[in-house]
Amino acid sequence: MTIADAGQPVLAAPERRRPIGLLLVAVPVLLVIWLIIWPIISAIIQTLWMRLPEGGETFSLETYRFFFSDGYSLSNLSITLWTTGVCAILLLVVCLPIALYLRFSDSKVAAYVQGLAIFPMFVPSIILSFAFIRVLGPNGTVDLLLNAMSLPKIRSPYLTPWGPVIGLVWDNIPLTVLILLSGLGNVSNQAIEAARDVGAGRFALLWHIILPRISNSILVAISFAVLGIFSAFTLPYVLGPAAPEMMGPFMQRTFRELYEPRTAITQAVITFGFCIVFGLFYVRSVAKNRTP
Amino acid sequence: MSILKIKDVSKIFASGQVRAVDNFSLDVADGELVCLLGPSGSGKSTLLRMVGGFERPTSGLMTIDGEDITHVPPEKRPTGMVFQSHALWTHMNVFKNLAFGLKLRKVAPDEIKRRVEAVLDLVGLNGYGTRHVAKLSGGQQQRVALARSLVLEPKILLLDEPFASLDQHLRERLREEVRDIQQRLKITTLFVTHGQDEALSMADRIVVMRDGRTEQIDRPEVIYREPQTPFVAGFIGTMNLIEGNVANGIFSKAGYSTPLPVGDGPAIMAIRPEALDLAIAGEGSQGKVHRVTDYGTHGLVDLELNDATRIKAMVPHPDLFKAGQSVTLTPKAIAAYRDGVVIHRA
Repeated sequence: MTIADAGQPVLAAPERRRPIGLLLVAVPVLLVIWLIIWPIISAIIQTLWMRLPEGGETFSLETYRFFFSDGYSLSNLSITLWTTGVCAILLLVVCLPIALYLRFSDSKVAAYVQGLAIFPMFVPSIILSFAFIRVLGPNGTVDLLLNAMSLPKIRSPYLTPWGPVIGLVWDNIPLTVLILLSGLGNVSNQAIEAARDVGAGRFALLWHIILPRISNSILVAISFAVLGIFSAFTLPYVLGPAAPEMMGPFMQRTFRELYEPRTAITQAVITFGFCIVFGLFYVRSVAKNRTP
Repeated sequence: MSILKIKDVSKIFASGQVRAVDNFSLDVADGELVCLLGPSGSGKSTLLRMVGGFERPTSGLMTIDGEDITHVPPEKRPTGMVFQSHALWTHMNVFKNLAFGLKLRKVAPDEIKRRVEAVLDLVGLNGYGTRHVAKLSGGQQQRVALARSLVLEPKILLLDEPFASLDQHLRERLREEVRDIQQRLKITTLFVTHGQDEALSMADRIVVMRDGRTEQIDRPEVIYREPQTPFVAGFIGTMNLIEGNVANGIFSKAGYSTPLPVGDGPAIMAIRPEALDLAIAGEGSQGKVHRVTDYGTHGLVDLELNDATRIKAMVPHPDLFKAGQSVTLTPKAIAAYRDGVVIHRA
């Protein structure tokens, strides 16, 4: 019939498009499998299968057993967790007020504040480290100013655990602010006004309306920050103490200086294990958002 | 007792260029429902937001029960506002949306439960407490928004185009329900709308606003039948506004003339379509039928005067008229305006 004939091409069009769509995503998916998924699997296999001196391989948890019984490895893991936790808290404390200000301020100053908040994104970590040393390091600008005012020197955070914390917080401010700001964009002015209308003051508004509405964004921002901080290298390497050290420099030293690739890979797998927990938080949050 | 008094309130926005509300005054009586009606940009929403505390007046005074509220923040005002977009908190269920304001007022949990259930019953959402607001229909969401305001027992209920996002049928049903609830609770209400039907069917009084000023404040039937300005005449309902000249007591415009006992000069004649009788003309035609629309209960005839001015007439039997026919016009009720004020009504 004419109607059926006329209808056929309309129905067939999406069918024809489907393989093109799949082909378009196939390339990046294959690249992810090749460059990310396979190295992860390969690394895990390498840490679990030990070569025997007489040839052949055997299953062994020896490297993991060593890591979790070695005091130095554990203190490195512990300082990494501490740094990550402190940075995550500080990032929230610093970035949430900035994002709230940017979302709700009508002032022209807000545009400049946003520019300043995003600025660290354009500063490479190594430049930031250099600036940090010149300002907060021994005989840096702060020391010179204190000296000029005849005041005692401060205890520099350089080469202490606080050095990487300051650097990493600075480095992660832009992304955290942007994610929180995007979350706050979903809190409508009318929802805020409705809350004020029923009697909510500033704190009640923040606690009962704004924070629950942006909890997903907070989770995503913290997941991103934690993923970056946990495996950070440059800032902990340049600004942090020699020992204990964060997992990034620890892995590099184990691999390059101690020539223990299998131990370094084990450290990487353990680091990955911690990161994947936050990665799953992120994936869950994205999936939750996409659920109709 | 007048519960809400607005006296000489103005709002000039920061740029200093826009005078959104200009020297506006209004007294709203206890239990009265007043509609602020006007086109977009007439200042009605700004005025409502000032009463709600969301905008600060540049000058003027507002009182509720004699208490100055001009600079009181919204969270401390005895007002409750229903927003156009419902503005429900989607991370809370219906019960929590309603209970939030009561919790902030430290009302006992048992009392919160009782009041929330009572108000849900009032708006016809009994048993919906545990439902997630995002999963409710538009009409149900609007009822929750209304219930959220009512549960706090405000002295003044403010409605900011609450039905604007709903379809026609739902809008008609909800406005009847809201009017019933308002009358049952005898709650003083200020209602912003740009829908004349809403204003005419719900309000005790209508304030027609234009450019931040009052054009007319009156009962709906008076606003409809006796508009004081050509703007109100043209804005409320359908009105034929014919600009012409009066000479020796006769108004004339492009072949159409009718007696008008006012002084000579330009005038605007206002005739409602239902107040214009049509007759098929042999000679002395005053206009031609352009189009006939049959609405079932009545018909609307679009007419063209000799200079192509279009006017409308409502007829009981539209099948009697056809496009191209010559007709004569006999107005049953007219008003005439000059310099923006009414000069004659008959």
